[in-house]
Amino acid sequence: MSHLHCKASRLGILAGLFLSASLLSYSATLLAADRGDIPRTANGKADFNGLWQTIGNHHWGIEPHNARMGPDPQWAAIGAIPAGTGIVDGGHIPYTPEGRAKQQENQANWLAKDPVVKCYMPGVPRANYMPFPFQIVQSDEHIIMAYEFASANRIVYMDRPDFEAPIPSWMGHSLGHWEGDTLVIDVTEQMPDSWLDRSGNHHSEQLRVTERYTYLSQDVIQYEVTLTDPVVYTRPWKMTIPLYRRLDQNAQLLEFKCVEFAEELLYGHLVKGAQAQDEE
Amino acid sequence: MSSQHPSIRNRLSLLSLSLLIVVANSWAQDEHYSAPRTINGQPDLQGVWANNSTTPLQRPEFFQDRATLTEEEYQRLLARAQEIETEGGDALFGDGFLNAVISGEVESYDPSTGNYDSSWMASRNIERRTSLIVDPPNGRLPAMRPAARELMAQQAQARRDGPSDSYTSRPLQERCITYGMPYMLAGYNSYYQVVQSATHVAIIQEMIHDVRLIPLDNSAHVDESIRLWHGDSRGYFDGDSLYIETRNFSDASIFMGARGNRVFKEKFTRISDDVLQYEFTMEDNDTWERPWTAIVNYTHSEDPIYEYACHEGNYALEGILSGARAEERMAAEQAR
Repeated sequence: MSHLHCKASRLGILAGLFLSASLLSYSATLLAADRGDIPRTANGKADFNGLWQTIGNHHWGIEPHNARMGPDPQWAAIGAIPAGTGIVDGGHIPYTPEGRAKQQENQANWLAKDPVVKCYMPGVPRANYMPFPFQIVQSDEHIIMAYEFASANRIVYMDRPDFEAPIPSWMGHSLGHWEGDTLVIDVTEQMPDSWLDRSGNHHSEQLRVTERYTYLSQDVIQYEVTLTDPVVYTRPWKMTIPLYRRLDQNAQLLEFKCVEFAEELLYGHLVKGAQAQDEE
Repeated sequence: MSSQHPSIRNRLSLLSLSLLIVVANSWAQDEHYSAPRTINGQPDLQGVWANNSTTPLQRPEFFQDRATLTEEEYQRLLARAQEIETEGGDALFGDGFLNAVISGEVESYDPSTGNYDSSWMASRNIERRTSLIVDPPNGRLPAMRPAARELMAQQAQARRDGPSDSYTSRPLQERCITYGMPYMLAGYNSYYQVVQSATHVAIIQEMIHDVRLIPLDNSAHVDESIRLWHGDSRGYFDGDSLYIETRNFSDASIFMGARGNRVFKEKFTRISDDVLQYEFTMEDNDTWERPWTAIVNYTHSEDPIYEYACHEGNYALEGILSGARAEERMAAEQAR
């Protein structure tokens, strides 16, 4: 083998390595679509119908976090909070100083302040990585996302790009469109009260969410979501997390209405005799 | 409900200003009508549908065995309905409308606070039918079993004895848990949206943001031990209709006295571009001496479904309970 040939081969290998590295995530994204073997509807669109759920501990914290003690010692190990590597691109949310201070205050008073503890609807994107499944029912004009937690749901309008949100809402106003095989949804007009996780991460009423759903393989969707909010973040930032199809036998969306599990917390002090018991 | 956004009130007010009454001369099925098909070949039932019928569930005794109004009665109904609308006053949801027309007496939906006036009312559809119930032929609910009647009486007594002792003393809808399955109240946010895929039908109910998911895959129901507020549904298309069977209700999911053992069968048929005919049969041998069947004509709506964020703004429940405790404290102080 000549020296020149050897150098050319090394360059080739290096170029190959470079290409491999730079295209790693890109190729993973395109792989399923390139092969053309993703599920498709009768009119050829990517078919996201199904029951989906994330895996991991991201609902506890979307930023990197250690394991920590849970709120109730009675629950000991099974009530403790597991560690997580986080799903925020770059690791941490680019908060303004005031935004970060509020997050820390929220976290310090998590149990009292987290709206989900009271069974309020989680908002978007939090609903997508709660530890509960959600069902997508997809037609040409509408995509329904029905979440098990709190029977929250949203209607994604695929054919009404100019439809303005009639009112602010907990699950926001979702307008979708297709970019090739990627479903893109813009979510606006969410209530400012919802959080992003159980670590106090938050937003204002100016939050704008852009979601991108792309098949990685037949049973895995890459979910990329960009959050823009000039009030509490210094720049738009992104999270990336896979959604897995629930393949377990008999899997289906069940009920977790959850109001009935929050009533004692919210109204227990107003039940007849409760104050007398407290005084004793 | 206190949680409703003011703009929804505005929407309803605008509707009430325009015209409350939609006259339906005939809801009979056009034999030549065939529902359009979806891309998957199913009858296309999709859209937003409203239950704004003025026809009561049970036939008022005034009509005896007659299933439809005479022409004279119908014209009198229209005229009287117009008068009631012009007079304003309390809102007439559900069966209250026809009852008010027949009896001449308006029974308030909310006599305790009177906070529902006619601006809350959506357009109501006036039909010639005298009851939603089509079977038994007398248009009335079958006789209840003695045990079911006794249970209902006990529950009614408990409500009278301590209506606000606890949050569990209050009705399920006030607690933002469920408006029942099926939700029967007409003219009060009674909107549904149907969305179809190849494998599922989703029926979005505006009240308390519920979505019913109906698998079309002929799979078995969930295990008998799983009990649900809205039951476990399975469905299929046959001809122009969607058929659904729902079971696995929880005992707490009470519908007119029926509990966990009821089997609920539904048939949805689009009988014109603007009418989705909803027929259901309630089978519950524990509760009634025989099954009964009703038909509701849902009408097409151009409006979208709104998010009914009930629990998130449920200040009323806190107010009811704290008010009751305050009354108890006052009574105790006066007794000293």
